[in-house]
Amino acid sequence: MDVFLQVVVNGLLLGGLFAITSVGLTLIFGIVKVVNFAHGEFLMIGMYATFLITTRLGMHPYAAVAAVVPLLFVLGMMTQKFLIEPLMSARNHDIQIFATVGLSTALINLALLLFGADIATTPAYGLRTAVEVGPVRMLVGQIVMFGVAAALVIGLHLFLQRTQAGRGIRAVAQNRAAAQLMGINVSRVYMITFGLGAACVGLAATLVAPLYPTSPGIGTYFVLTAFVVVVLGGLGSIGGAFLGAMIIGLIDSLAGFYIGSDMREVAVFGVFLLILILRPQGLFGGRQTLSHVS
Amino acid sequence: MTDQTVNPAPEPSPEPAAKPAKRTTAAIALAALLAAIFITPVVVDDQFVYHIFITICIFAGLSTAWNIVGGFAGQLSLGHAIFYGIGAYAGIMLTNMGISPWIGMFAGAGVAAVVAVIISYPCFRLHGPFFALSTIALLEVFRVLALHFRDFTGGATGMMIPLNIGWEWMVFRERLPALIIAFGMMCFILAVAWWIRSHRLGFQLVATRERESAARAAGVGTVKVRLIAVAISAALTAMMGTFHGMYLTFIEPESAFSLAFSIQIAMFALIGGLGSVFGPLLGAVFLVPITEFARGALGAEAIGLHGFVYGAVLVMVVIFIPNGLMGLIGRIFVPRGTGTKQADEVAAPEVARTFTPPEPGEEIVRVKNLNKHFGGLHVTNDVSFTLREGEILGLIGPNGAGKTTLFNMISGFLDADSGTVEIKGPDGKWNSPTNPADFARLGVGRTFQIVQPFAAMTVEENIMVGAFHRYPSVDDARAAARRTAEKMGLAPFLNAEASSLTIGGLKRLEVARVMAMEPRVLLLDEVMAGINQADVRRAIDLMLSIRDEGVSIIAIEHVMQAVMSLSDHVIVLSSGEVIAEGKPKAVVEDPQVIEAYLGKEFTHA
Repeated sequence: MDVFLQVVVNGLLLGGLFAITSVGLTLIFGIVKVVNFAHGEFLMIGMYATFLITTRLGMHPYAAVAAVVPLLFVLGMMTQKFLIEPLMSARNHDIQIFATVGLSTALINLALLLFGADIATTPAYGLRTAVEVGPVRMLVGQIVMFGVAAALVIGLHLFLQRTQAGRGIRAVAQNRAAAQLMGINVSRVYMITFGLGAACVGLAATLVAPLYPTSPGIGTYFVLTAFVVVVLGGLGSIGGAFLGAMIIGLIDSLAGFYIGSDMREVAVFGVFLLILILRPQGLFGGRQTLSHVS
Repeated sequence: MTDQTVNPAPEPSPEPAAKPAKRTTAAIALAALLAAIFITPVVVDDQFVYHIFITICIFAGLSTAWNIVGGFAGQLSLGHAIFYGIGAYAGIMLTNMGISPWIGMFAGAGVAAVVAVIISYPCFRLHGPFFALSTIALLEVFRVLALHFRDFTGGATGMMIPLNIGWEWMVFRERLPALIIAFGMMCFILAVAWWIRSHRLGFQLVATRERESAARAAGVGTVKVRLIAVAISAALTAMMGTFHGMYLTFIEPESAFSLAFSIQIAMFALIGGLGSVFGPLLGAVFLVPITEFARGALGAEAIGLHGFVYGAVLVMVVIFIPNGLMGLIGRIFVPRGTGTKQADEVAAPEVARTFTPPEPGEEIVRVKNLNKHFGGLHVTNDVSFTLREGEILGLIGPNGAGKTTLFNMISGFLDADSGTVEIKGPDGKWNSPTNPADFARLGVGRTFQIVQPFAAMTVEENIMVGAFHRYPSVDDARAAARRTAEKMGLAPFLNAEASSLTIGGLKRLEVARVMAMEPRVLLLDEVMAGINQADVRRAIDLMLSIRDEGVSIIAIEHVMQAVMSLSDHVIVLSSGEVIAEGKPKAVVEDPQVIEAYLGKEFTHA
C-alpha cells in the first residue's frame, strides 16, 4: 500500500512537471492557433540559460527566473513576429507546422554546436533533497514545481477572465476579424500571447533545470508529453491542461512501475492516440476552452 | 452566359501550341536531370561522390513516396519512418533467415501497407497538426516497441546483415550496382507518383485535400482514396527502406524509427514543392549534397552543423518560397496572366444528349417524417415531401428555418434522428442511402450555399472531379468537363485557377461540378444569392434547361422572382416545420407564409 501511495504521489508530482511545461503550449495554441513544435526547444534554451546563470554567476537556479522569463518572452514575441505572422495569411496553414518544425531542428542543432552532446548538470542547491511525509518521499524541487504550476494555472486563468487585456486576448481567439474591427490590435495580441506562452516555458525551465540534466535533445523528451497533455486537456484549455497533466503523470508513473519503465511511453502515447481518435476535443474540451477549435 | 460578374478574360494566348511546347521542355529537363544523377558518379568514379548520389536517389525516392500522402492528399505525416523501418527490418530479418532481400522488399512493402491502413484509418479523421501529432506518437510507439522486443528486433544493439556479396543479396563491394538499384527504385517511385497524379486517383486526392465535403458531394470516397494513397506510399517507402538497410548493412531502432529522419523526408518534399510530382526529387538534388558535404567536411569539429543548416533552410523556404523550388521555377518561367485561357479548341459539342423527358409525375425522391435535433433545438420537425421527375421544387423559408439542415440530410451529410429519405434508382428500385457517396451513386448531386471550390485546381480540373464520377478515364472526364463548362459559360476560364473566379463565377463552377456528375436529382443551395440581376436571369434559364434535360431539381432560394418563375411546386419551411406547400402563386398568398417572412402585422396588409 505504501508503495502504491508513493507511485501515486510520484505521478502527481510528475503531473506538476507536465503541467508547467504544457501551459504555454496550450495558451499559444488556443489563441494563435499554431501548434508550436519548437516548444520543447524553448524549454531547452531556458534550461541552458539557467545552467549558465547558476554555474557562471553562482546564483540559485530560482533566481535565474528574473533573466530567463524575460529572455523567453522576447524569444516568443520574435518567433511570432518573424516566423508565424508572415505565414498567417498563407493559403496552406499546414505550412506553419513546417516552420516550427524547422525552428525546432535548427535550435536543437545550434545547441549541439554550442554545448556539444554531453549533458549539462545544473547545481541543485538542495532542491534534489528528499523530504519524507509519512510513508512518502518527495523532492523539494518537485514540491515547489507543483505549487508553482498550480499558481501559474490559476493566475493565467484569472488574467484571461478578469482583466481587460485578457478579454482582448480571448476576443481575438474567438474571432480574429471581429476583434480587429473592435479596435484590438490583433498582431500585438498574438505577439504578447506567444511571448506569454514562451515565458511560461521559461519559468518551467528554471524549475526543471535543477532536477533534470540538460541536453540538446531534452526538449523533444518533454514536448511530446506536453502535446499529449494539451490534447487530453482540450486544446487551449488551461485548466484542462492541468488536469490532463495529472492524468498523464499518473499513467506514466503507474505504467512505469507496474508494466516496465521502458513501456511508459507506449502507455502514454496509446492514451494520446485513443483520445485523439475518440474524443479529439479532449476530455475537458468544450465550454471552458479559449476558442472553438476542433 | 457571358460574364459581367467575372474578371475580363485575359488576352488569348498567342499560340495554342504553347502548352505542349512547355511540356516538352519540362520532359527534356527532367530526362537531363535524371541522366545527370546517374552519369555523374559513374564518370567521376569517386567513393564519396557515389555515396552522395546514391543518397540523393534514396531520399528522392522516399520523399516522392511521402508526397503521395503528404502532398497529394495533404496529410502531413511525420511518421513515415515507421514504414521505412518496417521495410529495413523486414529485409534484414529475412536476409538473416537466408531469404533474399528482393523478396524481403515485397514482404516489407506488404506489411507496411497493411500497417499503414490500420493506423491511418482512425487517424484520417484528424487534420493538419493533429494528424502530424498522431503520426509522431505512433512513430514513438513503434520505436519503443522495437527497443522493447529485443528477441525479435535485436533491441538497442540493432541488427547486422551477413556479408554475402552479390546481386542476390543486394550487397556489393563496389558502388555501381548500389547506384543502379537506388536509381532504378527512384525512377519507379517517380513513375508511380506521376501515374497517380495524372489519373483519377490523383484528382480525387487533391480534391479531398482542398475541400473534403465538396469532394464527398462529388461522389469521391474520401476515406478510400486516402487509404489507397497511404498504402501505396507506405509500400514504396518500405521498399526503399529495405534497400537502404542493406546499403547501410546495419540497423537499430533509434535510426530506423527516427523522428528526425521522418522530418527530413517530409522536408525534401516541402522544399522541392509540396504536391508536385517532381518537387521532392528537386529538393533532394539540392539539399543532399549540401548536407552531405557539411557532414563530411565539417562533421568532426562541428557536430550539429548540418542539422542546423537543415532547420534554417527549412524555415527560410517556408517563409520565402512556400511553394518550394517547383513553385519558384513556375513563377520564373511562366509569366503571370498567360496560360489562363485556352478556350479555342473547345468546339461546343452541342449534340450528344437527345433526351426524352421522363413521364412527369413519377416520384423520384420521397422524404418521410424527418426529425433532427441540435441539442434542445428542433431544427427539422416531421418534414415530409416528395419530388417528382422533371420537377423543380422550390424550398423557401426565413433564415434559420432549417433548409440547409434538410439538404444535408437528403444528401447524406447529416443523419436524421428519425424519418426516412428514399431515392429511386435508375433501375426503378427504391433505395435508402446513408452517406454522400451512396447518394452520389444514385445520381443525387448537390451544391453548397457557401461555395466550395478546389482552390488549387483549375476550373477544368474542378469540373473533372465531378465528371470522374461517370467517366473513369482522364480523357473522357476532360471532354465531359469541357462540355459542361461550355454550357455554364465557363469555357473561357478552363485553365484559370478556381480561386481567381469572382463569386458569380464560383457559383456557376459549383453548379458545373455537380452537372458534370450527370445527376438525376439536383439539390441547389442558394445558387442565386449574392449575384446580380442579369446573372439571376441567366441562372433561371440555365435551371430550366437543366430541367428540360430530365433532371429533377430541389432549389433553396431567397430570390423570390426566381422561385416564382421557376418552381412547379413550393415548400415553405419555418422553424423546422412545413407551414405551406403548393403552387407558387398560392403559397405566397398564404397568410401563414407572409407572417413567417414579414411578421404578424403584415398578414392583414
